[in-house]
Amino acid sequence: MTITEQPAAATEQRDLSWLDAVTMTELERDPYPVYERLRREAPLAFVPVLGSYVASTAEVCRSIATSPDFEAVITPAGGRTFGHPAIIGVNGDVHADLRSMVEPALQPVEVDRWIDDLVRPIARGFLEQFEDDGHAELVAQYCEPVSVRALGDLLGLKDVSSDQLRDWFHKLNRSFTNAAMDENGEFAHPEGFAEGDAAKAEIRSIVDPLIDRWIVEPDDSAISHWLHDGMPPGRTRDREYIYPTIYVYLLGAMQEPGHGMASTLVGLFSRPEQMEEVVDDPTLIPRAISEGMRWTSPIWSATARISTTPVTVAGVDLPAGTPVILSYGSANHDTGLYEAPTAYDLHRPPLPHLAFGAGNHACAGIYFANHVMRIGLEELFESIPNLERDTREGVEFWGWGFRGPTTLHVTWEV
Amino acid sequence: MAHTVTVGDRRVECAPDQSLLDAFLRAGVWMPNSCNQGTCGTCKLRVLDGEVDHRGSPADTLPDEERQAGMALACQASPRCDTVVSSPTASGAVRGTHALRDLVATVLDVEDVARDTRRLLLGLDEPLAFSAGQYVELVVPGSGVRRQYSLANTPEEDKVLELHVRRVPGGVASDAWLFGSVAVGDRVELTGPLGDFHLPDAADDEGEPMACIAGGTGLAPFLGIVRTALQRRPDREIVLYHGVRGAEDLYDVDRLTELAAASPGFRFVPVLSDQPAPSCRAGFPTDAFVEDVPSARGWSGWLCGPPAMVEAGVKAFKRRRMAPRQVHREKFTPADALDTGAAGA
Repeated sequence: MTITEQPAAATEQRDLSWLDAVTMTELERDPYPVYERLRREAPLAFVPVLGSYVASTAEVCRSIATSPDFEAVITPAGGRTFGHPAIIGVNGDVHADLRSMVEPALQPVEVDRWIDDLVRPIARGFLEQFEDDGHAELVAQYCEPVSVRALGDLLGLKDVSSDQLRDWFHKLNRSFTNAAMDENGEFAHPEGFAEGDAAKAEIRSIVDPLIDRWIVEPDDSAISHWLHDGMPPGRTRDREYIYPTIYVYLLGAMQEPGHGMASTLVGLFSRPEQMEEVVDDPTLIPRAISEGMRWTSPIWSATARISTTPVTVAGVDLPAGTPVILSYGSANHDTGLYEAPTAYDLHRPPLPHLAFGAGNHACAGIYFANHVMRIGLEELFESIPNLERDTREGVEFWGWGFRGPTTLHVTWEV
Repeated sequence: MAHTVTVGDRRVECAPDQSLLDAFLRAGVWMPNSCNQGTCGTCKLRVLDGEVDHRGSPADTLPDEERQAGMALACQASPRCDTVVSSPTASGAVRGTHALRDLVATVLDVEDVARDTRRLLLGLDEPLAFSAGQYVELVVPGSGVRRQYSLANTPEEDKVLELHVRRVPGGVASDAWLFGSVAVGDRVELTGPLGDFHLPDAADDEGEPMACIAGGTGLAPFLGIVRTALQRRPDREIVLYHGVRGAEDLYDVDRLTELAAASPGFRFVPVLSDQPAPSCRAGFPTDAFVEDVPSARGWSGWLCGPPAMVEAGVKAFKRRRMAPRQVHREKFTPADALDTGAAGA
């Protein structure tokens, strides 16, 4: 590129008036076309409907996530849903304390100690309910239940039914991603937070009594540890301080292993020969999951950073205090890194992806989630090695903030 | 000069022209291995320190990026210096096994048992310890070429080895030697035992029902496997399908029929693919299995024969819901079996 061409190209890149027409409904149905154009024309751009800057390429997402000039911030709709201080939106000492609170249970050596005994019986239990039926809808009957039961039991919510946990994350999800802003920077659909508020009220009515008990009778559940760990004798963390992070878990951590398993299955169904390979050789399951997480990243566009100083990113000058939404689902389709990124391909070069984020706010549950998904798929293929997608039913993906198949109908010979 | 090769806390000597796998197995250090031809990838390991010569490692099994990342095929690679490796699939499971040995045997009998099919009996100077289903490599006299043949023996039959050979027209081992110049009394060099297609040790054998599908001379290991399994549990449920082209290709029918008559849980089913005969099932053995067995949940499956048959067998087993980790396949491709097509589904 010559110097004289540069301004013209830059001017052309800045004509982003087409973004004015982008709607939330469009992004939730299929965000890929809009983001493909963003990656090409403006990897960092202000998207009016979101009322925020958006980073769409792998390079820009990664550089912002790991930049000293940015710190975490929760998206407006996320903050409205979770309240403060949610682990994903805080910095400094509070963030360090919340990470130190959640991380001990999620360390690989710790997870290795119990993950098999926790997840395998759960997976078996759900399989036993339908494995001889010859047909199933795997999102509702398997992926989501395995995901919520494993984490629910770990957290100490053994007595909360799987359907209840699924209902909570669905409601919190829609509230968290009720992201549309009007021209005044106000929420375009404030009524959309009502169901999240109702879910939180229900959560508190069930979890408050448990917290009351854990304060006086600690046990080995994660939330009990959150209350007590690192506190002086006789004192516990305030429940108002940990509730926002409980909501983070009850949404993302509950939902995403299920999304990851379901997306991996849909990806494998798109490549029958690769599905066969993975079923025949379960040691390929972790690689299949990794590609599934790249192909349809469950946390598609749900985290954000805010500049702490004036900074120029991808040719865009941002004043201090500018939030940027990191669209990892888009970054993982970056043609600069991945050939034919829209295709699921077990055998593509295993480059690192951004599905679990980057920097000091990278997902704390990577190891746990990967093993929940692995054991879930191992047990599924062990029980039903002749799984086929029910081609009479389509597969529809939904979501901009969080994304995965809404249903996945399968059949098999019993 | 030999180099030392270390895996975990075991250190063995390995000559510059010797494969790592060969050195480990001879020293009694177990390492996952199957085809010993560089094609299956079972013995892939990581070189942590030192350097290896990949020799005959095929690019399909060990692509460049894996070589650059330090991976190697134990059955092909030789050390260039003292080397340390880790075997990811062994992961702490380095355990004792039947040590690999070089042996000399005497040809005791060569018998035509079916069309282009011979049974070879080899008398060993000293007994060979192996697991039912494993194979040995014969050295073709004068050529240095090695050929792999499954043992039809039970582990107790450790002094006289029984091998089944099918003629491959123009084949250096079968056509020129075992269907040509071989004579009773000849001395034969061999190496064994090899392979992971074998029954588990009695202590680890859960006694689950077994579905066995053989193509052509792929029947050989099943004579060892089925007889051993029935010795352990005379009532065990076992089905054995033997797929061949026509009735002239069948052998050991009486032997297996008698075994079935004496074993309430064992069924033997010959299946003819090309030339039907009134007394036999027609079609492919893998289809016969699907027709006969409504569910193979909880069973183990065993496949030895031409690649197409093995592939169809894996599909048939999964269709009947056998857990994939319970599916065992002989992964070496016998020159003989390649040509039969008899059971090719």
